[in-house]
Amino acid sequence: MTTLPTEAPAPAPALTETPAAPKRSTGKRTARTTSWYVTALFICSVMVVPLLWMITIGLKSGSAVFEVPPRLLPREFQWSNFVNGPEAIRFPRLLLNSTIITMLSVLGGVMTAMMAGYALARLRFPGQKVWFYLFVGSMLLPGVVGLIPLFQLYKSIGWYDTWLPLIVPAFFGGNPLFIFLARQYFMAIPYSIDEAAKIDGAGHLRIFVSVMLPLTRPAWITMAILAFQASWNDFLNPLVYLYSADKWPLSVGMAQFVSPFAGQTPNWSYYMATNLLYMLPPLIIFFAAQRYFIQGLGSLGSTTQK
Amino acid sequence: MNRDGRRRKVPRAGKVGRGLSRNAGSDVKAAYLFISPAIIGFTVFVVYPLVRSFYLSLTKYNGLSDPVFVGLGNFRRLFTVDPAFWPSLRATGYLVLLYVPLSLALGLALAVFCNQRFAGVRIVRTLAYLPVVLPAVATITLWKFILNPQVGLANTILDKLHLPTSDWLQSPAMSMPSIVIVMLWGVGGTMIIFLAALQAVPNELYEAARVDGAGPYSVFFRITLPMISPIMLLQVILQTTAALQTFNQPKILTNGGPGFSTNVLMLSIYNNGFSNLGRIPQLGYASAQVWVLFIVIIAVIALTAKFSSLWTYSDNTPD
Repeated sequence: MTTLPTEAPAPAPALTETPAAPKRSTGKRTARTTSWYVTALFICSVMVVPLLWMITIGLKSGSAVFEVPPRLLPREFQWSNFVNGPEAIRFPRLLLNSTIITMLSVLGGVMTAMMAGYALARLRFPGQKVWFYLFVGSMLLPGVVGLIPLFQLYKSIGWYDTWLPLIVPAFFGGNPLFIFLARQYFMAIPYSIDEAAKIDGAGHLRIFVSVMLPLTRPAWITMAILAFQASWNDFLNPLVYLYSADKWPLSVGMAQFVSPFAGQTPNWSYYMATNLLYMLPPLIIFFAAQRYFIQGLGSLGSTTQK
Repeated sequence: MNRDGRRRKVPRAGKVGRGLSRNAGSDVKAAYLFISPAIIGFTVFVVYPLVRSFYLSLTKYNGLSDPVFVGLGNFRRLFTVDPAFWPSLRATGYLVLLYVPLSLALGLALAVFCNQRFAGVRIVRTLAYLPVVLPAVATITLWKFILNPQVGLANTILDKLHLPTSDWLQSPAMSMPSIVIVMLWGVGGTMIIFLAALQAVPNELYEAARVDGAGPYSVFFRITLPMISPIMLLQVILQTTAALQTFNQPKILTNGGPGFSTNVLMLSIYNNGFSNLGRIPQLGYASAQVWVLFIVIIAVIALTAKFSSLWTYSDNTPD
């Protein structure tokens, strides 16, 4: 397992187009271009129309949502949904909960994975290979296997209905994929750098913090994004571990609002208005750090292909 | 495991002392300091639950009183008595059979499509990946309303185009395909890995094929597919294991209904182990179901890896 994420250290996005198809007659090329754009339009609308429709629902009044036949555009715009909806769902509270849980688990997950990756890639110690294979092997372990024993464990130490089960595992290398990614990235850095630092008298902590962390910025940004997504999207764990509604993160709170409860129909226009707000943080991160999203998965692709 | 580690210690330590660095002793200490959180985590959050879960699957346990050992009783009950277990296995299998091939085929098609040189291809790629970025709960709940038979977007559009409409999630026949449709909206995740694989194929191969006069179909089937087959193997394993553990979609969209049509194994495990409908949790029984799922996953990985040499290409020429 000495494969390196060859493309990872390059800051430019890994995705570049392959050269164009052989040029044939102009008519054929125009047909090809047209069909490509028609397909592209279809793909884009499949991805975007549901989201646009969500926004129109968010702007309709509660009763207009259930008009038959349904109208695609609202007759009048109910901007107040963007205020009343979040209030009804208690969005600010849920957002705060989600933010705290996510920030802490991102911090923990990235930190411990970087530390473990550093040790596995750049320090020599007995059992190095064994631990590496154990961590990588645990990637294949489905999360559900541990769910019941861990639930009982947390319950017995008083962690049930607290955020600790969602945060603490991250501080203990909770995501073996990150350890793997960190190690692969550290392997690609020339060893002469640490030797130079060692000669200058730097200890391992110094080397790790002031030499390695700046050098591996793309790696930990990618990891932080993956960790953010995992925590922000997590539904099963908070559903199992959190009982009181004021501790829920957004995922559980939002899902609860539209789950059929005592035969009530939820207010969909409130919901969709709030749903848009729920989608915003990941959307902003995605557009701000797009290349890291693609790089993370791209390096997964190129490491396994080698 | 522990013994294994100790056995390896002796020759390795010798090698380190002889060759590489003078301060090998401090290396070992530092290494274990750096790696200790991960080791503690591995022991507490992986090894302990794994062992404990296996033990619990052999017991009758409600989480309040001590577990009572019943041997293979839970498994016997699962396979012979429980009327809900076979339907849940069947629902899980149906979901995997529908989702995995479609996800791989659509993902690859989309990747090939986005790997061409046209102005605006970047936009298509970004938009195709967009649903993967959005929170799962947000997209699932959105689709729950899109698939609403009366006022949902799906039927509105189908109706406008004079195509047959459907009851989607409320019909026993369409409920699982509907869930798969919702899952396939996130096909961008499959696409992006294929895209990275496609771009790693050396251009010389395509040029050589072009010189030899190969058409686009033979290029795809004789060059592209063999070259990305290792990634295909990875994708088969990733997608199948993920599909076997599908929980969010059936939980939010249908909660297992109508009937048992979408009551996949994960949902059944959740309902047995963490039901908050006032039922007593059956943690031992749910653990037995977990182990059935686990063994299926292991089997899928093992079989895929075993037969992979038949259809994956590997470069055996020395560099």
